[in-house]
Amino acid sequence: MSQSKEELKAKMIADPSSLATLGGGIALAGGLLGSSWGIGLAASAGIATISQDHRQLKNVIILAAIPMSQTLYGLIILIITLRVVAPKIVAMPDPVGSGLAVVALGVMAAVAFATSAAYKGSVLASGIAFLPKTRGRILTNCLMLAVFVELIAVLGVVFTILALSMLGLM
Amino acid sequence: MTIGAESLAAVGGAVALAGGLGGAAIGMAIAGYKGVATLAEQPQYLRSVIILAAIPMSCGLYGLIVLIIILTVVVPKIAAMPDPGGSGFAVVACSVIAACAFAFSGISLGSVCGSGISSLIKTRGQILTNALVLAVFVELIAVLGVVFTILALTMLGLM
Repeated sequence: MSQSKEELKAKMIADPSSLATLGGGIALAGGLLGSSWGIGLAASAGIATISQDHRQLKNVIILAAIPMSQTLYGLIILIITLRVVAPKIVAMPDPVGSGLAVVALGVMAAVAFATSAAYKGSVLASGIAFLPKTRGRILTNCLMLAVFVELIAVLGVVFTILALSMLGLM
Repeated sequence: MTIGAESLAAVGGAVALAGGLGGAAIGMAIAGYKGVATLAEQPQYLRSVIILAAIPMSCGLYGLIVLIIILTVVVPKIAAMPDPGGSGFAVVACSVIAACAFAFSGISLGSVCGSGISSLIKTRGQILTNALVLAVFVELIAVLGVVFTILALTMLGLM
């Protein structure tokens, strides 16, 4: 009797598809958090560089905009969760458990996006700091090293989709 | 006692505004204490310092926009649903997106504007425009937070 009451309460507050929405929301929140953190780091270093050598504005703008990509990865996960996972979750044998699994995968994606964007910001800030010394030639090498960190965010998307497929939610 | 879906949706709006206000407060504080240090050396940069230190305030306004949208559009729609189910919880989930975006972009805006304020004296105030250009990048993340929250609410059929 008490169990059915608890089930009713759980149903009233959160149903499986809203749990899946929470998973997608956490993933996008991680992406936005990391992007703003990374751009903040790179742009703060950029202002110090521009005050030294104002001709580097173009390179600073290119490098400071790069951590924005994690937001788009977060959006991809949110759209996949809302469009593909949430309609499918109701037909699962254990919908509430599957909903919690989607939240867990959202946390995994969020950590990947947040940390990779923040650390990409620090790689780019380091590149921006060397722009005046190398007269802008560090740009290409800095982009190459930033791509390594970018790869972790892409792996975050790929592994989230992989895990969703393995759980039969995609 | 169970929490109704409408009150959960209102909690969601409040979470979004709380994120915005927290981010705006921390960001303005970061820019403000760097501004005080700059003004102690060169008081004539008061205008530029005030402009740059006020920019993180925008995150609070974005939070207010999300709260108003949720209270005026989403809550009546949930109230009209025959079986709201987990709709209220889904609104809280969408608000987490907005709150994270506003809080962290506010803090990052503060550090970018603070960096600009610190460079005012060295560049004789000419850094103002460039600092605003770079601050707009971080601002964009907060705007994307509003847009994606509205997008998610629309995809859920709550707007």
